[in-house]
Amino acid sequence: MGMKLRKALAVASASVLGLSLAACGGGDSDGSGGGSGDVEGTKGGTLYYLQHFPFEASDPQRIYYGVQLANWRRVFYRGLLAFPMSEDAEVGTTPVPDLATDTGTSSEGGKVWKFTLKDGVKWEDGSDITCEDVQYGTSRVFANDVIIGGPNYTLSYIDVKDYPGPYKATPEQQAAFEDAVSCDGKTITFRFNKPWADFPQAIAGMMMTDPYKKSFDEGEKSQWKVLSNGPYKIEGGKWDKNKGATLVRNDQYDPATDDPEQLRLALPDKIEWQIDPSDTAGELFNDRLIKDAGNDQYAITTARVAPPQFPQITGAVEDRYESVLSPYNSYLVPNHKKITDVNVRKALAVSLNLNGYVKALGGERVGEPGETIVNPGVSGAQDNPAFSEDNDNNGDPEAAKALLAEAGVKTPYPIKLAYQKSPTTDKAMAIVKESWDAAGFKVTLEGLSDTYYDVIAQPDKDVDVMWAGWGADWPSMMTVLPPLFDSRPNVSSTTCGNDYGCYQNDEFEALIDKAANSSDIEEQVGFLQEADKVLGEQYAYIPLEVSKFNWLRGSKVTGFATTPASSAYPEIGLIGVQN
Amino acid sequence: MTAPSSDLDSHLGVPAETGEPSEAPGAVVSRSPLQLAARRFLKDKLSMASLIVVLLFFIAAVVAPFAVKFGWIDPLSSNQDLLDEFGLPIGDWGGISGDHWLGIEPGIGRDALARLWYGTTFSLAIAISATIVAMVIGVVAGIVSGAAGGWVDVIIGRIIDLTLAFPQTLMLLALSSVGLAFIHQTLGVPNGNPTAAVYVIVVLGLFGWTGIARIVRGQVLSLREREFVQAAQMIGASRRRIYFKEILPNLWAPILVTFTLMMPAFVSAEAALSFLGVGISAPTPTLGNVLTDALRYADSAFLYFFIPAFMIATLVVCFNLLGDGLRDALDPKADR
Repeated sequence: MGMKLRKALAVASASVLGLSLAACGGGDSDGSGGGSGDVEGTKGGTLYYLQHFPFEASDPQRIYYGVQLANWRRVFYRGLLAFPMSEDAEVGTTPVPDLATDTGTSSEGGKVWKFTLKDGVKWEDGSDITCEDVQYGTSRVFANDVIIGGPNYTLSYIDVKDYPGPYKATPEQQAAFEDAVSCDGKTITFRFNKPWADFPQAIAGMMMTDPYKKSFDEGEKSQWKVLSNGPYKIEGGKWDKNKGATLVRNDQYDPATDDPEQLRLALPDKIEWQIDPSDTAGELFNDRLIKDAGNDQYAITTARVAPPQFPQITGAVEDRYESVLSPYNSYLVPNHKKITDVNVRKALAVSLNLNGYVKALGGERVGEPGETIVNPGVSGAQDNPAFSEDNDNNGDPEAAKALLAEAGVKTPYPIKLAYQKSPTTDKAMAIVKESWDAAGFKVTLEGLSDTYYDVIAQPDKDVDVMWAGWGADWPSMMTVLPPLFDSRPNVSSTTCGNDYGCYQNDEFEALIDKAANSSDIEEQVGFLQEADKVLGEQYAYIPLEVSKFNWLRGSKVTGFATTPASSAYPEIGLIGVQN
Repeated sequence: MTAPSSDLDSHLGVPAETGEPSEAPGAVVSRSPLQLAARRFLKDKLSMASLIVVLLFFIAAVVAPFAVKFGWIDPLSSNQDLLDEFGLPIGDWGGISGDHWLGIEPGIGRDALARLWYGTTFSLAIAISATIVAMVIGVVAGIVSGAAGGWVDVIIGRIIDLTLAFPQTLMLLALSSVGLAFIHQTLGVPNGNPTAAVYVIVVLGLFGWTGIARIVRGQVLSLREREFVQAAQMIGASRRRIYFKEILPNLWAPILVTFTLMMPAFVSAEAALSFLGVGISAPTPTLGNVLTDALRYADSAFLYFFIPAFMIATLVVCFNLLGDGLRDALDPKADR
């Protein structure tokens, strides 16, 4: 269930990527540190949030959009844990307690996790949030015929068999679930069938174990209802899919039970959350922010600035502009069924003119060259020596020629390169072709359209190298390396899944097993770093760019920032307006 | 056909300008209809100018592959050192310089002139091929329909109606994956651009023949009542002989005119198809590919956008003017 980058164009166009399922991860704000002007954020005022696509639900257990998970954690739905609003990659990817009193204690080698709820935490109707609410919320994910669309990692971990969710469960099934996820006063205990070392990270970002009040639940009809426990509530209680809502203060929320500095400043008194789902909305919103008139001075948007608008970002507009690393990485995968010689794969990596590729995409505002497939916002990310050492990213055709000679293959070596077609990627891939052609390859470009990922998942595809993009579901390498390169969950006779190159390596898979069975997060990260090195030595992938997001805001907006926790979208917990 | 007398009069006594042996002054010169048409055409300055422009395009298109081969132009090499950090050409005029007469492509820095020039070759080749396919189908259908009459005429008429009723562009897009697979697998055309080119040619041809078919049918309806056709029927000529030896030679005027009018439509259609992602794909340039990319820079690199757009417009307009001029010359009685 990773979040795929649907198109390289998505980096360039404001609409597409926002629609892919996204979750945690993120990037550092580069440069200014994300602060908006010199004005200190003050309480009060109305913030306008312009959104260019509709959410798919407002029910916590159904939410999977990265920007929605991040923003709604700050305004409506507090979790047991949450990621702090820090721009520091290390701090920002380390969960802190939210509804729970601490970050949880694990036992039995990471198979059992315990959390205790704080006192005084309340729903917007004034009732207390109980351990049973957490238990009930967790159980709803299992009803995957009713509660559709959300992340469902808990299904494969929670130690219960054949549980159909709370709506259809027999008393025995329900009892079995309540054994696995049990309540004792304010303490909730999760029992898993295997160790889950990065469980705190998984639930800090995603809402799989968020509390849900049973008496409020109407099953399918709950899709657009919101029962808040955060600093804001919706006027009228219902989210309008294509219009949004007006958010006002929730008088039942007690900041004393919270950690506002770290988790949610909740500065504006009111948030007008306005949705325009039309195709041109994104560009329109940014045009309005460039003009900065009327209420747009108090506005932020989910729509990223598209490259055609870059030339307008000069002078005063540039002060209201931010270019930040996104949680998405692009990479090339060699088809391991076709290119079996590691030296040939290495020659591809060595000769790649990555700097030129990024420039053709649109330059430093669109992305920066990556040295690994792991996004800098993922904890434990470090440069992969295979790509960072002796490689200036300009491409070295001579070294590649020597490698091809060593491999003893006939040159020019034919390469069919598949990618998702757009005018921008056409150019960027032409640079790849040029640099590889100069190194003794003969590249044919195959620009494919809509069903791109279906095509490159086929096991018998007739391509040698493929472009792909990925973003982590939560800031753990467990949501990057195994989904993309572990052949066991991916490869079958009919598909290679997300392991597009049909890569299989015992050493790598042994390290993944060790990481999965780690009880300790440090130890797990260590194994995964080793695993990435193995991938590098094998040239199982070639990193391309870490994409960047480009943001504009109104001139009266304060505290604008993006954080790893906000998936590089605006961190609404920090943002206020001048009165 | 008979030329109008006024036209004849005006040329009486004037030495021929078309290189025929000149006659003695005052003598009555006999001229074939073709000669008369040529004289009328040569007098039409607009048409002559269009003809020259069109010929220049064709010469350029024929020369381009050799120019690439001998290294005079290079449509594929990048020059990223000539771009700023956002990938836009350095300099005010889209990077126009002694080396790059029309500037360079943003993002990658390929020579704009080379891509436009080389792209013309592909675009014209596809447009001509598609026009020929459409003309052959249309002329044959028109002659058969007009000359045979009866139920054959009715069936062909209904087929024409059906083809006209098809939403062409949508069908082109919808059928592209099936069509491409068929051309690649069944006909054995190499995958990639050759397949795409064949697909575009075939589909443009299959949807573009109806106009000429109707014109030809109309002409044939009047021709088949003429004496020479009836004479041929009387002496028992075969049907095929009557269609293609007796009737067809009398149709060249409308065919030529339709050809010149259909070409520009197909040049635009190819550009539109490349724009929609069907057709010749990158990095090979066509006028459509170049324009598709250029459109995105209409704001930031205006010249880079304007030049290919202007070129396509020029080509299409000149072809249309040429077609109009030819029609006037060949059929002066036609109303405008």
